[in-house]
Amino acid sequence: MEKKDLVIRIAGEGGEGIISTGDFIAAACARAGLEVYTFKTFPAEIKGGYAMYQVRASSETLYNQGDTFDVFCAFNGEAYELNKHLLKPGTAFVYDYPGGDFEPEIPEGVHAYPIPMSKTAKGLKQYRAKNMVAMGAMSVLFNINEETLIRVLTDKFTSKGEEVLRLNLEAFELGKKMAAEQSKTDTYRVADAQEPKDVIIISGNDAVGLGAVIGKLDFFSAYPITPATEVAKYVSTHLPKCGGVLVQAEDEIASLAQVLGASYAGKKSMTATSGPGLALMSELLGMSTMSETPALVVDVQRGGPSTGLPTKHEQSDLFLAIHGGHGDSPRVVMSVEDVKDCIDMTVDALNIAEEYQTPVVLLSDGSLAFSTQTIPRPDPASYTIVDRRKWDGQGEFKRYLFTDDNISPMADPGTPGAMHIATGLEHSETGAPNYGPVAHEANHRKRFNKIAPLVDKYKPTEIDGDPDEEADVGIITWGSTIGVAREAIARMREEGIKVKGFYPKLLYPMPVKQYEDFAAKCKKILVPEVNFQGQLSHFIRAETSIKPIPYTICGGLPFTPIMMIEKTKELL
Amino acid sequence: MSVAAFNQVEMKPKDYKSEVPTTWCPGCGHFGILNGTYKALSELGVDPTKFVNISGIGCSSRMPYFVNSYKMHTLHGRAGAVATGTAVARPDLAVCVSGGDGDGFSIGGGHMPHMARKNVNMTYILMDNGIYGLTKGQYSPTSRPEMKAYTTPYGGPEEPMNPLLYMLTYGATYVAQAFAGKPNICAELIKGAMEHNGFAYVNIFSQCPTFNKIDTIQHYRDLVEEVPEGHDASDLGAAMELARRPGGKAPMGLLYKANKPTLRENLDKIIEKVGGHADYDINQIIARSKP
Ligand SMILES: Cc1ncc(C[n+]2csc(CCOP(=O)(O)OP(=O)(O)O)c2C)c(N)n1
Ligand code: SF4
Repeated sequence: MEKKDLVIRIAGEGGEGIISTGDFIAAACARAGLEVYTFKTFPAEIKGGYAMYQVRASSETLYNQGDTFDVFCAFNGEAYELNKHLLKPGTAFVYDYPGGDFEPEIPEGVHAYPIPMSKTAKGLKQYRAKNMVAMGAMSVLFNINEETLIRVLTDKFTSKGEEVLRLNLEAFELGKKMAAEQSKTDTYRVADAQEPKDVIIISGNDAVGLGAVIGKLDFFSAYPITPATEVAKYVSTHLPKCGGVLVQAEDEIASLAQVLGASYAGKKSMTATSGPGLALMSELLGMSTMSETPALVVDVQRGGPSTGLPTKHEQSDLFLAIHGGHGDSPRVVMSVEDVKDCIDMTVDALNIAEEYQTPVVLLSDGSLAFSTQTIPRPDPASYTIVDRRKWDGQGEFKRYLFTDDNISPMADPGTPGAMHIATGLEHSETGAPNYGPVAHEANHRKRFNKIAPLVDKYKPTEIDGDPDEEADVGIITWGSTIGVAREAIARMREEGIKVKGFYPKLLYPMPVKQYEDFAAKCKKILVPEVNFQGQLSHFIRAETSIKPIPYTICGGLPFTPIMMIEKTKELL
Repeated sequence: MSVAAFNQVEMKPKDYKSEVPTTWCPGCGHFGILNGTYKALSELGVDPTKFVNISGIGCSSRMPYFVNSYKMHTLHGRAGAVATGTAVARPDLAVCVSGGDGDGFSIGGGHMPHMARKNVNMTYILMDNGIYGLTKGQYSPTSRPEMKAYTTPYGGPEEPMNPLLYMLTYGATYVAQAFAGKPNICAELIKGAMEHNGFAYVNIFSQCPTFNKIDTIQHYRDLVEEVPEGHDASDLGAAMELARRPGGKAPMGLLYKANKPTLRENLDKIIEKVGGHADYDINQIIARSKP
């Protein structure tokens, strides 16, 4: 079978230009009309430490970072040591030699391309141009579109002055020359340039920020936490252009409190955080539920508990998102699969918060946060924007009026005749405290029932495969793991395995019937997720009649398609 | 507070009274503060539809229920942070927090410095009774160690904090102190706070006859002493000196007032700098992510 994609992993010490090399290659491939999916890990330390950037490029749609890499480019000995066990017969290996800080052993069958990266950069007295040498060499060796790569480099370095540009391009040319002198023994090549598409290339975190801008956000309250901080950076850069404001709060408690204060005042408001921050917000999530004040919290999950794995990927906040907090405290919980979802579902989540006057927790994750992907350029005019239901000025205003659809009209402060209290206490229809059993039960019913219709109204859960066909294994998964399942399922189907996928984006309220209808056509249900307990499996067991088989990993990295294929085959 | 809400109506103090009956114990100092608030609102002609009264949890935090206005009854300690969101989001509204010493300085203590230093345009009325009222009489951050309370049967192990010094230190731009037994002075200082453009803090001693048996109305009456005539309220050093309670007396009156841009004004400058407006073409933002 012809290989349509290529995965290049670049690794070295943070500060050696690993990230920019990856960004350049990704941008060049995207400009050449290819699909790109990048993946990176970086150290928790500020300076130095191991950094890794992986670019997967293809002429076809990509859903994940790939099984492993085809090409490995090591900038230093540490990168080599950490990756040498992954060098398999057939892998192409580009490394800094001679003149680098290591002398690798080349395993049998590995295609080795020693390129004196440091030495060449030193020769040019441009120590930071080491990555340019590497990039030049890789462009020749692996068919990275040279024309677009040079354009990307020129765009990047022009602002830094002609001399910087000239030296970098010279380093690039030297790298090319050295690669050309070697004999290429592997067959890896990036797909040829295609008709350029109207795309953008953007990370998950930036995409959440873009979604917020498209969704007509007014107010963002931020408190820095890895891996969510870039959302605030994006919003702080672009929201003021649209007349909105970002406030950096003193902590996450204040962030959500500010969001509720701004939302009560009639403004579309949100915050973004990661697990520890969401944990701090749980009392205020209840306040949002009880006072029926719209609020969006984006949780870019990382490894926990406690400070846990601050820079690593995990999907382990589902329990917290759905049930975190005191009392019976319903809220909408959704999760994104990929970068495009980060835009679309941030708009959806803002809309849902407004329409249902409820807190919405939108779960992203550490792997999506920094993953950049090519996606069709979004058209802001194509999104529907929903605003809260407003009081029509007729009759007496009751903030918590019981209605047929359980949604009470709101009135922004400043509206004559509608003065009222928004309260975290249990209350009557007017907002006056009422701790009576009748009021408490009736309001619980209202707060739960008002979001219940979402299971039918929010886009139906996608079934990957023919819904009517019987399958041996059905894979149910969530978050960025969906992208891995898509590829695993496609590859297994090519082998003739009967396997289907079910990808919920709305996690709470849970579309129980959709789950059960799907499972009815599958002999076994496998639920892969990146957490220790099998959190989605738990909800499936609790809420549906399905008996899921959990498949969990929690090493700080996402699944790969091959892992999921092997696990599925065990069940056949 | 926002001047847009002022001189809008002619209402008597009692017209600001809501229909909800008060729930405080007879003799509670909070009544005096409530009356002072009504009077200040009336004298300023505040449009009640543009007034947002926000509170946390505590006896004092029941205040908004009794005021005819927009209001939010939030969580213990969080009123200030909620009000920050309201005041920043809607600069046309007049925003006021009413809360207790436990609410503001214990559980909410992490928020106080930031409202002050950010100069959020709002009024914060702290009803300081040196006790936790609603939870039935535990010692609070402003309790004197001599006080035997629910959780200090042998007297308190801690020194009380000094709210005025604290707020002056963190940059509040209006700092005043009053006593609930003097509703007219309360009204005058609350009015000044509401007129102030920036973060205004008013500490008001408020007796809790039910649980605080040592800080009686008479104790506060003897404790307070009006700010000396000739005190220069623009002099931070002089304000701090007064706040340190020279001679053991607690100053009553305006200690400090300064003019600084508010948080929202500074955010507006940023919007202006980037030429921001609601109809901005988002396609220009999207174009920045082209490869
Ligand atoms: C998170 C949380 N912790 C504790 C409480 C219980 N609580 C309610 S009011 C209060 C103290 C009130 O004292 P203060 O703020 O001084 O106001 P006062 O009642 O004296 O006017 C406490 C501890 C709560 N409601 N929420
Ligand atoms: S307990 Fe104290 S503070 Fe609370 S209402 Fe009674 S007197 Fe006032």
